[in-house]
Amino acid sequence: MAVVSALSQTDWDDLAQRARRRRLLSQSALIAFLVATTLPVLLPYFWMVAISFSAKSGGVASSLLWQAVSVLIPAVIAIALVRTFAATRRTKTWGSLVIVAVAFGLIAVLVGPRLHLENYRFLWVRDIVAELPSRQGTAGVGTQFPSVWSAFGNSLLLALSQTVIVSTVSTFAGYYLSRFSFPGRASFLQSLLVLHAFPAMTLIIPIFLIMFWTGLIDTVFGVLLVIVTLELPFSIFIMKGFFDGVPWDIEMSAMTDGASRRQAFFKVVLPQVRVGLIAIAVFSFIKGWEEYVFVRTLLIEKSNWMMSLYLFWVADDIMGVDYGIVAAVGVFYVMPSLFLYLFFQKYLTQLNIGGVKG
Amino acid sequence: MARIELDNITKAWGDVVAVEPTDLTIDDGEFVAILGPSGCGKSTTLFMLAGIYAPTGGEMKFDGHVVNEVEAKDRNVGIVFQSYALYPHMTVRENILFPLKFKDIPAGRAPEMVEETARLVQVEEFLERRPSQLSGGQQQRVALARALVKSPQLLLLDEPLSNLDATLRLSMRTEIRALQRRTGVTTILVTHDQIEATTMADRIICMSRGRVEQIGAPEDLYRRPNSLFVASFIGAPPINTLSGNATGNAVSLGDSVLALLGEARGVVTVGLRPEHLQFADQGLPGRIDGIEPMGREILYLVKTPLGDLRVLEAGSVPRRSAEQEVRLHFAPEDTLVFDGASEDRLPDVHAALAEETKKRA
Ligand SMILES: Nc1ncnc2c1ncn2[C@@H]1O[C@H](COP(=O)(O)OP(=O)(O)OP(=O)(O)O)[C@@H](O)[C@H]1O
Ligand SMILES: [Mg+2]
Repeated sequence: MAVVSALSQTDWDDLAQRARRRRLLSQSALIAFLVATTLPVLLPYFWMVAISFSAKSGGVASSLLWQAVSVLIPAVIAIALVRTFAATRRTKTWGSLVIVAVAFGLIAVLVGPRLHLENYRFLWVRDIVAELPSRQGTAGVGTQFPSVWSAFGNSLLLALSQTVIVSTVSTFAGYYLSRFSFPGRASFLQSLLVLHAFPAMTLIIPIFLIMFWTGLIDTVFGVLLVIVTLELPFSIFIMKGFFDGVPWDIEMSAMTDGASRRQAFFKVVLPQVRVGLIAIAVFSFIKGWEEYVFVRTLLIEKSNWMMSLYLFWVADDIMGVDYGIVAAVGVFYVMPSLFLYLFFQKYLTQLNIGGVKG
Repeated sequence: MARIELDNITKAWGDVVAVEPTDLTIDDGEFVAILGPSGCGKSTTLFMLAGIYAPTGGEMKFDGHVVNEVEAKDRNVGIVFQSYALYPHMTVRENILFPLKFKDIPAGRAPEMVEETARLVQVEEFLERRPSQLSGGQQQRVALARALVKSPQLLLLDEPLSNLDATLRLSMRTEIRALQRRTGVTTILVTHDQIEATTMADRIICMSRGRVEQIGAPEDLYRRPNSLFVASFIGAPPINTLSGNATGNAVSLGDSVLALLGEARGVVTVGLRPEHLQFADQGLPGRIDGIEPMGREILYLVKTPLGDLRVLEAGSVPRRSAEQEVRLHFAPEDTLVFDGASEDRLPDVHAALAEETKKRA
C-alpha cells in the first residue's frame, strides 16, 4: 500500500523535466570532450595546410593563422553539435556538409586573397634548394637536391611492392596456418607473436651489417626486404585469424561442387576475408610510405631518396628560412595516405580482428 | 545414379576411431538413412563418401569402381551440410549456378538449369537474394537445389532438417522424399532423429560408436532389433527395459517374476514397448504415478512390482487418474529379451506374465 500511495503522489512532469536536464548536461559534456580531443589532433594538420598555402619566404604570417583558426574552432563545435543532436542520418550528413561549406567560404573571404601556390614550386622546380636565393650553394647534402618526383617514385615503389608482397604472403601463409596441421605449427604461431613483440629498432645494427655484407646496402630492394620481413609476422597472424573465421564447410562444399582446392580458395574462401585483406594492404602501404628509420639508415645515394628523406632534408636545409616549402612538402607527403584512408574507410571500419586462436 | 558399396571402410584420427570397419551396400535409387546418436561417426561416413575425408582403410565403390582415390570434385556427389554452407557472398542464383561452372554444359543451358532446379525446390522468387536474407527453411531448399542442379549420382544430406521448426520439418520431410522419388537419385540421409529416419528412408543404417549396429527396413529395426541399443534408439517414447536374473524359464525382476518362453540364463534385459502395454481387467498390478498427454496419445508412468513402466494409450483426454490402481497386459510375442552381457537380442526368447503375478492383488 505504501508503495502505491508513493507512486500516486509522484510528480511525473517534474521527473521528466529533470531527466531532460540531465540528458542535456551529459550531452554538453560529451561535446566539450569531443571538441577538446579533436582540436589538438586537427590543428597541426590545419596549420600545416594553411602555412603551405600562405607563408612567404622568411616567415609565417601568424595573423592569418589565427584568423583561420577562428573559423575552424566554431566549425568543429558546430559539427559536434549537429552530430549529437541531429535526429536523422540525412540531417547529420547535410548539416556537416553545410558547416564545412560555410567554413570554407569564410576562410576564402578572410584569407583567400593572401593564399598562393609559390610554396608548391618544388613540384616543378628541379633543385629546390639550389634555387633558393638565400641558401645558394650551402645545402647540407651537397649541391644537388634531387627532384621530388624521384623521391615520390621511390616511395611509391617501396610502398606498393611492400603492399603486394605482404598481402600475398600473409594471405597464403595465413590460409595454410589456419587450415593445415604440420609439425611445429604451434611454435610457429607463437614465434609470429614473439617476433612482432620484438622492437625492430634493436636490430638496426645487425641489419645494417647484413645489408652491407650482402651488397644490398643503398638499394631500394634491400630496404624493401627488411621492412617486409618486419611487417610479415603480424600480418600473417591477422590473416590467419580471418581465415579461422571462414567456415570449413563452405570450402568443402565448393570442392564437392566440382572446384579444385585452388578454385575453392579463390572463389569461395578469399571473398570471405576481403575486409582483412584490404586492411592488411592499406596498413602495409602506409607503413611503407611513411618508413623512415630503415630508409635513413640503409639508403645513402640521393637518387634513392624516399619521401620521408626528402622531407627530412628539406626541413634540415630550409627550416628557418622558408616554413612554407616544408609545410607544402608535408602536405604533399600526407596526401596518398589520406586518400587511401578515405577511399577504404568503409572497409577499415568493418574491421574486427576476431577469431584469433591457436 | 549409382550403386554404392563400402567394403571394410575405416576412418581413424590417430587413436580415435571414428568409423570401425564397415560393410555396406546401397542400391541404385535407394533412399537410406544413417541413424545414430551424436558422435557415432555418421558425418564421417558421409564425408568419406563425398571424398572430403580419405578412408584409413577399406574400399569404397561407386557402380563397382573403386573411388578411394578419386577427388571430391570428380565424384559428382551432391551434399547438403548441416549448416547448409551456402556461399555468403553470392546470390541464390550464383549459389545454384556454382556447381555448373565446373561442368561441360552447352552454352546458355546453365541459367535454364538453375531456374528449373529453383522451381523444383520452390525458391525461384528468391534468386536475387543473398543467403543471409533467407529464412532457415529457404536456405535449406537453396542448399538442396545447389546439390541437385548438377544431377549428382549420389545425394548426401547431413542432418538437413535439424535447424527447422517442427511444422517446416514435417513438410520438408515429405518434400525431400517426393523430390527423391521424382529424380531417382541414390540418397543417404544422416540424422539422429528416428522419426525422420523411419518416415523417409527405405532402409535404416543404425550406428553406435563408429559401428553399424543394424541395417534394415524401419519395421525390422522396430520389431526385430539386433541389440538393446537399436531397441532403445528406435521407438518413441523409448522402450521400457528391465534387468534381471534368468534361471532357465523364469526371470526375477524387482520383487516379482516373469516367465520365459524359450531358455535363458544369467543376466538378461527384458524390453517392453510402451505401446504394447495395455490396461486390462487382469494382469500385472500397478499404480499410476504420472500422466503426460502427448496429443493423440497419453503416456502413463506406472509403478509395478517389476519396476516403473511407461504405458501408451490412445486418446487425447486421460481416462485414468493419478494414484489409480490398474492392471497391465501384454502379448508375449511383443516382448524382446536381450543377453545382459553382450546386449544382443535372444531371438527365440520372449517373456510372459507368470500365473502367480496375475493373481497377486
Ligand atoms: N577431425 C577430427 N579429428 C579427430 N576426431 C574427430 C574428427 N572429426 C570427428 N572426430 C571424432 O569422430 C567421431 C565421429 O564424428 P562425426 O562427426 O562423424 O559424428 P556424427 O555422428 O556426425 O555426430 P553429430 O550427430 O554430432 O554430427 C567423434 O567422436 C568425433 O569426436
Ligand atoms: Mg555430424
